[in-house]
Amino acid sequence: MGFTMAEKILARASGRETARAGEEVQARPDFVLAYEFPGYTDQFFKMMAEDFGRDTLDAPERFAIFIDHMVPSSTPAEEQVHQATRDWCAKTGATLYERRGIGHQVCVEEGYAAPGAFVVHYDGHVSQIGAYGALGVNLPRRTLIEAFVRSGVDIKVPETVRVDLTGHLQPGVMGRDVIHHLIRRLGVKACRFAVLELGGPAVATLSDDALQSIAGQVMFLGALSCLVDLPDDRLAASAARGRIRLPDLRSDADAVYRDRIALDLSELGPIVVAPPSPADTRDLAEFEGRPVQVGYLGSCASGRIEDLRVAAKLLDGRQIAPGFQLNVVPTSNAVMAQAAREGLIATLVEAGAFISAATCDFCYGRIGTMAPGQTAVSTGTLNVPGRMGSTEADIFICSAATVAASALEGRITDPRRHPEFADAV
Amino acid sequence: MPSDAQDLKLPAIRGRVAWVFDQPDYDVDQIVGVKNIKIQDLDQLAAIAMADQDPDFAARTVPGDVLVAADNFGYGHPHAPPMRAMRHLGIAAVIAEGFAPTYYRGEMSLGFPQIACPGVLGLARRGDELEIDWDRHLVVNHSNGRSLPFEPPSPAECRLLALGGHLPALKAALGV
Repeated sequence: MGFTMAEKILARASGRETARAGEEVQARPDFVLAYEFPGYTDQFFKMMAEDFGRDTLDAPERFAIFIDHMVPSSTPAEEQVHQATRDWCAKTGATLYERRGIGHQVCVEEGYAAPGAFVVHYDGHVSQIGAYGALGVNLPRRTLIEAFVRSGVDIKVPETVRVDLTGHLQPGVMGRDVIHHLIRRLGVKACRFAVLELGGPAVATLSDDALQSIAGQVMFLGALSCLVDLPDDRLAASAARGRIRLPDLRSDADAVYRDRIALDLSELGPIVVAPPSPADTRDLAEFEGRPVQVGYLGSCASGRIEDLRVAAKLLDGRQIAPGFQLNVVPTSNAVMAQAAREGLIATLVEAGAFISAATCDFCYGRIGTMAPGQTAVSTGTLNVPGRMGSTEADIFICSAATVAASALEGRITDPRRHPEFADAV
Repeated sequence: MPSDAQDLKLPAIRGRVAWVFDQPDYDVDQIVGVKNIKIQDLDQLAAIAMADQDPDFAARTVPGDVLVAADNFGYGHPHAPPMRAMRHLGIAAVIAEGFAPTYYRGEMSLGFPQIACPGVLGLARRGDELEIDWDRHLVVNHSNGRSLPFEPPSPAECRLLALGGHLPALKAALGV
């Protein structure tokens, strides 16, 4: 029987001929990524020195640290954490990306998402690099130290669940709707400890941005990571951007999957994830008309150029509802610059949006903090109570199109009600 | 690195069932309440654990007690403080029908036994005395004489449990 992409990637990374799901291997990550955060990276730096007596990294070019939280600093203590990180990277040779945007996006722009690469992080949203053919796996919080002090990390080779996509998304329906639909359709346990492999003819119809949005949220299916079976031209484009060139590692036609599921994108409509659970996925229609006061369009899940284009298309020449706060946060500086070149930033500002430079801080409520009793429509990653401020504020997760349409009305609104998407209703 | 994980001594687990979480997909943040997950003080956290359900929970729990849970225990975006509170009270293991991966991997990396035992909800009630029989891979209920097989941890997971978590296991592997 053949092998899956995940099995092939981990076989190569562990120096074996083959690796089969269920086997435990020690695999050498091609890249080790982390964002700086108190209690995480600062602890790694300390543990390296105090527990392991190490002050150097094996092949430091494999390591990238992103300063994307607490940007800009708002207290001296926060700035001290940043400075310690700068110093540590300078000393060890790890590459530092500061104020370049959210690391999960910047790492793609910087070529760490090379097809076939095995990449580790302690954040589960690193799975989004699977949209470019790289296997991004999160290791539990402090266990990422293993990647800092020895060449390989212990990992059990995961099974794979294959999802074959067919059809074509309706106008006004986005990648975010696809992943949340999958969570509803398959259930929150469907991909436990497995890799979700996305394939099928509809992959070619989905943008890089849409695939990245889907791949970044697979943790809510219980998945360890995500890999996209890309068409040849997309795989070549991804490889051209990669920092390393690796052998073509597609799944074999007779690969062994835990499960295989088909999904017709044509049947999907807009979805919201209702508070307080990332599992409570509903048709938008159930909540249409509910008043909302806050909109967040950003995060590693949905602040890319496609999202900004859709929002600008809806908001062009219009004004957001009085009293509604719309925070638009491009995922990276590159995305923001592109949006500026296309005139999207001017459109959004003129409609009344607040534009922030790229940062993670809106996603977890450090800024743009919500008060008790408020309700948000958000493209952030999560809707648990307290995620964006008060534990008594409600967060509805949805697509950028739904955030923009709702911003115009001050109510949860189906983007397909707008003339731009009307043909799809 | 120990070459044979079977030679490692796994922790003895025998204790009463302190609580049965019978709801699937249970979000462990609810143990202390989402609004309290930033509390760092362990005594304070332990005092409020499950207090909404049973004000005497902390007082009734004794070291060695275990928790029993439904399937996909730990779903959501689990934070560390709730189970830190449980360990502080002396909880020795969680025995569930199944676990959510992020939660499971995180707690096992701390050397906190998470034991997958399909059917355990039908095996045990609050107050029953359970034992983990590592040799026979059985959860034994000494209160009703019944037992059920659990899914044995992998060799790497046995190392984590035997050595007390990822950090000591890694130090042992590297000889530091």
